[in-house]
Amino acid sequence: MEFGFSVAEQAFAEEVRAFLRDNPLDRFALDGMDAGYGSGAHSRAFMRALGARGWIGMCWPEMFGGRAAPMFFKLVLFEELARAGAPFGPLAGSWQTADAIIEYGSERLRAEVLPAIARGEATFWQGYSEPDAGSDLLALKTEARRDGHHYVIRGHKIWSSHAGIATHGLVFTRTSREARRSRGFSMFVVPNGTPGMDIRPIRSLTGGVYHYEVFLDDVRVPEDLRLGPEGEGFQALLNGLDSDRFWGRFYKAPALERVLRRLVDHANATGASTDAGLRRRLAAMAAELAALRLLFYRAACLLRDGAPITYETAMAKVYADETGQKLARLGMDLLGLWSPLRAGSREAPLDGEISHAYLTSLGHTIAGGTAEVLRTTVAVRGLGLPAEPRKA
Amino acid sequence: MDFRPSSSQQLLVATARDFLRKECPPERAQQIALDPGGFDQALWRHMAELGWQGLLLPADLGGSAGSLLDVILLVEEMGRACAPGPFVPSAVVATSVLLAAGGADHKKRLLPAMAGGERIVGVALGDAGNTLAIDERGRLAGRALFVEAAHVADALIVAADAGGERPLLLLPTDRRGVERRPLETIGPEQMFELACDGVAVSREDRLEPATARHDALHAGALARTAEMVGAAQRVLELAVEHAKTRVQGGRPIGGHQAIQHACADLVRDVDASRGLLYAAAWQASEGVPAAADIAMAKAYASEACLAVARRGHQIFGAIGYCEEHPMHLLHKRILAATLDCGDAAHHLEDVARAIGLRG
Repeated sequence: MEFGFSVAEQAFAEEVRAFLRDNPLDRFALDGMDAGYGSGAHSRAFMRALGARGWIGMCWPEMFGGRAAPMFFKLVLFEELARAGAPFGPLAGSWQTADAIIEYGSERLRAEVLPAIARGEATFWQGYSEPDAGSDLLALKTEARRDGHHYVIRGHKIWSSHAGIATHGLVFTRTSREARRSRGFSMFVVPNGTPGMDIRPIRSLTGGVYHYEVFLDDVRVPEDLRLGPEGEGFQALLNGLDSDRFWGRFYKAPALERVLRRLVDHANATGASTDAGLRRRLAAMAAELAALRLLFYRAACLLRDGAPITYETAMAKVYADETGQKLARLGMDLLGLWSPLRAGSREAPLDGEISHAYLTSLGHTIAGGTAEVLRTTVAVRGLGLPAEPRKA
Repeated sequence: MDFRPSSSQQLLVATARDFLRKECPPERAQQIALDPGGFDQALWRHMAELGWQGLLLPADLGGSAGSLLDVILLVEEMGRACAPGPFVPSAVVATSVLLAAGGADHKKRLLPAMAGGERIVGVALGDAGNTLAIDERGRLAGRALFVEAAHVADALIVAADAGGERPLLLLPTDRRGVERRPLETIGPEQMFELACDGVAVSREDRLEPATARHDALHAGALARTAEMVGAAQRVLELAVEHAKTRVQGGRPIGGHQAIQHACADLVRDVDASRGLLYAAAWQASEGVPAAADIAMAKAYASEACLAVARRGHQIFGAIGYCEEHPMHLLHKRILAATLDCGDAAHHLEDVARAIGLRG
């Protein structure tokens, strides 16, 4: 066993911290309205700065422009950015898309999109959910019909984060009328602004916009923007799922630790820190965040070693999201009458961060697999309990 | 970073699991637990032959020079099997105190015999229920509650008041004025009240520095956490097995989401507790300051592993309520471990200070 970071990893962490010291976060413009949704705001300027440092593509093989850095460097980078509250929102999506392009992307995707990702210029939205296909993703109706060397996509996607401010959509479609549970689905990388694509904001319960719905009205896409072999999109999606869940939530422990530090400072400043009950809740939360961080480290080691993963990332995601909700709730209790004051209001404590987190955290146990679906995954895939009967 | 035990640690764990399956099957653990004053001398000696009680000791004191992390992995297996005996007080806490604060004579006289399973040393180091004090004439009086396995201990290490100081004393249990009175608990732990009336103590009984108590209690807190994690792991295995095989209404109950989600929460609580345990034990073994990490692990696991036991009972339904079923023993073992070497509230206060909360 070994729980520390290596010398090289620690040196890289220091490099990232130096970058953050030299580049105060208020220098980077934020895009869109709902800065963060708890997962780091979307900032093209910040992504370009990361790209300029060579950090976005650092783990890619050299033939794709990377320097084949070990996967744990991504872990270190993410941890430092989250700890600082940096606007790294699109980073996980960029990494996941790049991994898929490197694994089975066309020459065109590798030549055009990959370098744009490395520069921090290309960011992505996921066109997975549809009005009638949520937890049951394969009920999706969006179709991509082949037309010579093109596909024509028609359908309606929803709950796509960042769609209005990103550069490309990952649009998951049905490419065969006979599509059964696992075959007949294909993924496309569709540039925003392609004729026929209509992106409309969804105002959320925070009053801001984080999600969009996207209408695809005969959107014509060249075949080499298909990601992977035709009809095998779902298997590819499943293969990437554990890594998606991991990178989609790894930031949580360090990000929540930052929030906890702010709450501790606030409790000290107001004198609330002497309340015995509150002390225990804050201390218990610190222990919970340490446990959360270790669940993710363990999953990271499994991913790094190529070891089989059955339930570890599903479990870690649920735990991350539920702990985030619990921390927000604790923060609201600590702030009392001040707690509902929103960012920008007079008297808003902690820049309104807690009331915002209280609301956005409600979405986290739903997005990317509900807590219920993932608990079932843990039980069936991880513990071997019998699956509930389902329709073919 | 690497979560895998080393090959020698894997061997230690495999040997322990195999040994305990044969020498301490559930029926045997049950039998000893239900016998007031029960102690399995043969099992204790057998464990000593495997080098368990001497794991923390250097070779020249009859030990096998293991790390605290090795001990934690071993105790996890003991918790899993509900193995009886005062391993944590004697082989972890008292051994740690004697190593750090015992004189050469104490060490030579006691530690090899403890490693060999011939001697047992208990501890009364907590503050709750402890009124032991030394007067000006050097007489020890008062009592200490919650002293585990005092009935089989040859000596006890006690913390007593002495004019504002809090020295540690090594007290032979056969000294005049020392009395051990049983306390009856709902669990398998054998608890005693130590009562002292005008017991003569001298300079030679003192163990110094008295601060050795803190490190020893930290080692004990980690060992108790390991016990909880091992017992909770066993609850998880048994509950999942039950969910797969218990059929009602034509299907295994584990095919229902209510039971599936309960089982998913069991594995989360066990894994999260174990992560904190291993990380804290690794740090302590590496000599990195680990007090806050140990406090977090003990506080967290106390909540989480007890939740595992309670949820486990619900999954088992009526059968788990029977004395012959292993659930209650695992549950009571976890409950007892939450309290020893600092309960959750005690450790949370340590964490509160570590994260910078002002008092």
